[in-house]
Amino acid sequence: MAMSGGVDSSVAASLLVAAGHEVVGATLKLWGGPSDSGCCSVADVDDARRVAHVLGIDHHVFNYTDEFERDVVAPFVAGHARGLTPNPCIECNRHIKFDLLIERARRLGFDAVATGHHARVVTRNGEPALARGVDAAKDQSYVLGYLSAPQLAMVRLPIGELTKDEVRRHARELNLRTWNKPDSQDVCFIEAARGREVFLRSRIPVTSATIVDRSTGDVLGTVEAAELVTVGQRKGVAPGRDGARRYVASVDLGGGRVEVGRLDEVVVRRVSLDGASVIIRGAPVATVAVWVQTSAHGTPVDAVLRHDGQWSVEFATAIRPVAPGQSVVFYDRDDPTIAVGAAVVSAT
Amino acid sequence: MNGPYYFDYAASAPRRDEVALAMAPWQRGVVANPSGSHRLARVARRALEEARDDVADCVGVAPGGVIFTGGGTESCHLALAGIASRHRRTHATTSIVVSRIEHHAVLDAASAMARDWPTVSVRYVDVDRDGVVDLESVCAAVSADTAVVSVMTANNETGVVQPIDGVAAIARAASRGACVVHTDAIAAAPWLDLAEATAAADLISLCAHKLGGPVNAGALVLRGEFALDALVPGGGQEQGRRGGTVDVAAAVGLATALRATVRDLAEVNQRVGALQRKLIDGLSKLAGATVTAVAARRLAGTVHATFDGIASDELLYLLDEAGVCASAAASCASGASESSHVLEAMGVTPDRARGSLRLTMGRETTQADVDAVLVILENSLRRLR
Repeated sequence: MAMSGGVDSSVAASLLVAAGHEVVGATLKLWGGPSDSGCCSVADVDDARRVAHVLGIDHHVFNYTDEFERDVVAPFVAGHARGLTPNPCIECNRHIKFDLLIERARRLGFDAVATGHHARVVTRNGEPALARGVDAAKDQSYVLGYLSAPQLAMVRLPIGELTKDEVRRHARELNLRTWNKPDSQDVCFIEAARGREVFLRSRIPVTSATIVDRSTGDVLGTVEAAELVTVGQRKGVAPGRDGARRYVASVDLGGGRVEVGRLDEVVVRRVSLDGASVIIRGAPVATVAVWVQTSAHGTPVDAVLRHDGQWSVEFATAIRPVAPGQSVVFYDRDDPTIAVGAAVVSAT
Repeated sequence: MNGPYYFDYAASAPRRDEVALAMAPWQRGVVANPSGSHRLARVARRALEEARDDVADCVGVAPGGVIFTGGGTESCHLALAGIASRHRRTHATTSIVVSRIEHHAVLDAASAMARDWPTVSVRYVDVDRDGVVDLESVCAAVSADTAVVSVMTANNETGVVQPIDGVAAIARAASRGACVVHTDAIAAAPWLDLAEATAAADLISLCAHKLGGPVNAGALVLRGEFALDALVPGGGQEQGRRGGTVDVAAAVGLATALRATVRDLAEVNQRVGALQRKLIDGLSKLAGATVTAVAARRLAGTVHATFDGIASDELLYLLDEAGVCASAAASCASGASESSHVLEAMGVTPDRARGSLRLTMGRETTQADVDAVLVILENSLRRLR
């Protein structure tokens, strides 16, 4: 049972214990640098350990700081340096929480790995499938989108059947100290007060860029760290001469130029996918109608997933652009609660 | 699960019954404040001063040189900050010299001072491949502005004994007699004659729980007159060098544990030394195992090894499952195994360091324990490969 020290994994552990499983709690130490939760998140580890004590299960701490740096932080920095918008939480779930922890669990003789994600593993056509959590507002199937079918077979997501309120009520009834702990927010290795820019500057030189209005050619300002500008972004972008909102249309790090435009100028009908990143559970098909979710809590969009030598998604309606580096997760057209795969956007 | 087989003496040694007995009178009823003047205060003071005499005798110093502290970490901080804080008031610049393999108690004390005090800097002394402090590096690091040099008597991860005599002689020469030499003798104390092993050092840090005494009990021992600032002023206790009511039970616990250690030193070294050789023989036969620092002089209780292609976390998990209590090295407060700065300083590659295991023994370790741990280790490695 991967225990982060939060309320979700605390309750997930309690449900497994109540169901009669032989459970061992493991907290993953991921980040060795400064963070908002304190040095090596000692407070979170303490919470997880204390919950394990209360539930009567053993608890271990696994050090994955080297792997986290290699598989999550370094690619995050390298992605930004190339003008992409990587999602480190997805990479962490994929490479650390599942790939590495599942391998380790197998070596140590465990049958399954459980986490406190709001999502479910269901059986569909005799195969394990990933489904949205019951609490639509808290659903985390998006960040689990890359799990393979064999991985899903080994994964347990005990709180996927509960709403967040039910999780907290359950934790309170069991007197778990995490019952009212706030949900974790942003990226764990970035301090809220210092922000992404300070973090990125500590790793790489950042590039300043001129913000140019695509249609008028007007210079609307400059940005200090163009690496952190995301295609599709509206926040922090000044309105154009006509007073209408502007959205980021493209980022050219080499040319020091960020182009912005009105919503109707920047929307897209199609994105290209990085073929190496595509995961489809179930039989792969050349063209399939799906629902596509482009961010952790975004609204699914009607779309067609196409594979004609190159992977792409065509949306039924034009949408705000999805930044290269971001992940899109595919949901079944007939049963939109089932996540059937995921991929990284390579170009808008 | 059989066992437990306790191979983590270096983290904390089993409490001695005689320590518990000696401490018992100071843990119930009226335990007067030893600074008071009435009869019960005098009784407490007498026990405290007896403990001080005992500790002084074991280290070979005058009793006035013993400052009781709340443990080893505090002792190390008091040594470094107590000296450097005073030095910087009267000098334009102050340097602190520490070896790269010191315990974090020393390393973090030094780096905190360099962070907070603009005129204070830290210089680091290298070690060779066997984890022995390089005397030329000491010579290069020490200068006329060096306030304190800190090199541990023996390392807590590898058990490698350090050349304190040489360090002290070179440090004094290079600083023209100006610097104070501190040695963290916490890991060494269960195994070495402190009067001899720390003879060249000015300040010696000790703690009780590695000796079978209580935690949160330690001492900084001064071999001569050295003025130092209190970390916690207030109340004037311990000759103004450590404020706060002195814990009589802790002092008695430390003194009793240290006395017992000195009494049993030769016998325990001989017996555990034989177990150490058996453990090393057994380990050497395991595929992919490398015993650390084989060429160096080591404490009898420590066996450190690395295993190719193995993650310590997994090995420790399986050992724990089979009842073996061991560690990868020093533990972080979170309980995660930390990558070792000691192995890094020795030039051990990160890949090899990932698979490190420290087995530490002591007076209650038996041949049967060693036999059991070798079998369990072999089985665990087979499962992981």
